[in-house]
Amino acid sequence: MKPGRRLLDTVPAWLEAHRDAARRSLQRRLQAPVLSLISIAVLGFILALPAYLWVLLDNARTLSEHVDHDPRIALYLDGVEAATVADLERHLETDARVERWTWIDADEALASYREGLADPGLLDWLDENPLPDVVDVVPATADPETVAALREALAATAPGATVVSDDDWVRQLNSLHHLGLRILAVVGALLGLGALLILALATASELRERREEIAISRISGATHRFLRRPSLYGGLMTGLGGGIFAAILLLIGIGLSRAPLEQAAAAFDLEFGLALPGATHLLALLLAGLLLGWLGARLGSGHALRDAP
Amino acid sequence: MIRLQRVTKRFGSASEALSNVSLRVDPGAMAFITGPSGAGKSTLLRLIAGLERPTRGRIRVNGHDLDRLSNRAIPGFRRSIGLVFQDHRLLFDRPVFDNVALPLEILAYRRPEMRKRVRAALDKVGLLHKEGVNPRTLSAGEQQRVGIARAIVHRPVLLLADEPTGNLDPALSREILQLFDDFNRVGMTALIASHDLGLVERMGKPILHLEDGRIEARAAAGAPA
Repeated sequence: MKPGRRLLDTVPAWLEAHRDAARRSLQRRLQAPVLSLISIAVLGFILALPAYLWVLLDNARTLSEHVDHDPRIALYLDGVEAATVADLERHLETDARVERWTWIDADEALASYREGLADPGLLDWLDENPLPDVVDVVPATADPETVAALREALAATAPGATVVSDDDWVRQLNSLHHLGLRILAVVGALLGLGALLILALATASELRERREEIAISRISGATHRFLRRPSLYGGLMTGLGGGIFAAILLLIGIGLSRAPLEQAAAAFDLEFGLALPGATHLLALLLAGLLLGWLGARLGSGHALRDAP
Repeated sequence: MIRLQRVTKRFGSASEALSNVSLRVDPGAMAFITGPSGAGKSTLLRLIAGLERPTRGRIRVNGHDLDRLSNRAIPGFRRSIGLVFQDHRLLFDRPVFDNVALPLEILAYRRPEMRKRVRAALDKVGLLHKEGVNPRTLSAGEQQRVGIARAIVHRPVLLLADEPTGNLDPALSREILQLFDDFNRVGMTALIASHDLGLVERMGKPILHLEDGRIEARAAAGAPA
């Protein structure tokens, strides 16, 4: 005499039970719309902040990618001995990290400088050539770390030479970007944990309101799984709502900060356009909302149902 | 169907709510538990329904050893019994139909079958015409009948009732007990707690008398243990 056992196993009955749980959860939410909207808004704000920071960081990264010339390393060989120069030349010939290099003789440099002047006679006042010999090195790769390593190797080979590379600001920007990502990860994790606790609390209080129904259902043989099912659907609904709200906030935020950011970039002579997040990123935001909503509901219902009579 | 062997239940360090109770109710039987309030009637029913665990002793109900039943197995066991409370314990946030349908929802019945069974149960207690109303608008007697419909809608093998006539006048009380008798006639084992000895005696069924947590047998319930 266990007709339910047989019916339980059928897929349509299972689907119907889930549909009922989802419908009941939606009804409960519609009966208390203000509370539901507050949960959605809280989740939306919490998701929107790290998403906004991420969009800014992602766009800042493209700033360094926009640099269209290859990095260069220049060695100013002022007062460097001839033997060292020979060592340096051997190094430049053998190091695979070097694409090509050019020797710029001090006299040639002065001559070409003289050509550029309106009055070439000006330089006749100089007793001797103030320019050093220069080696202009083009690295084989633009990778900042390889360039930095090459720069250090060259400086070691030619002690006394002044070594300058023009990718310093790219490296600074990259390290700032890494720092930003790290801060974003910490902020995002803390906010996510906060959201999880808020959603768990909301689920627990909702279950407290349902306690008579839960007690009666328990007596009738309801399992944990059955009792928490509406809460999990509720969590998914809050999560979806929060994700959509966060996406809207994000788009508004980017829209509002676009013009001032581009003006600020222009003031620094930088070409910088704030790109809108793509569909993948918005989808990721929705998924993050759904995941947080579900996890929060699971956390809250697990706790509340364990304590229920 | 029900067999208790030297069952004792103590709540905390208080005195024993039940002491050394042994009883047996055979499948298909109907029996009453009487006694003054505080005698342990509710505790006894709660133990048999698996809502409490005994401090000592063995309880066997419908083939399950309740003192050894795992937490995981309890929901499955409870689905085989129906429980009626003195205060009905209806849910006022939903209509009569949904109240009665709750056990079937838990058993994952499909809609058409669910509708059929809920209607049949409501028809049996004479409330088919009230399926759409909120139970809050019903009289105490009607609310109790909704509670009974909910307890039998999934056709349990065992029906337990704790003071089902507690708030009702004598005529309504007789009606309710007659309902239990009807269910018993179609094979449902029934154990009903009531303090109204006069009413119970008129039913001509075995009666177990509880006094201070001890059985003082008056007549065999099926047979004494």
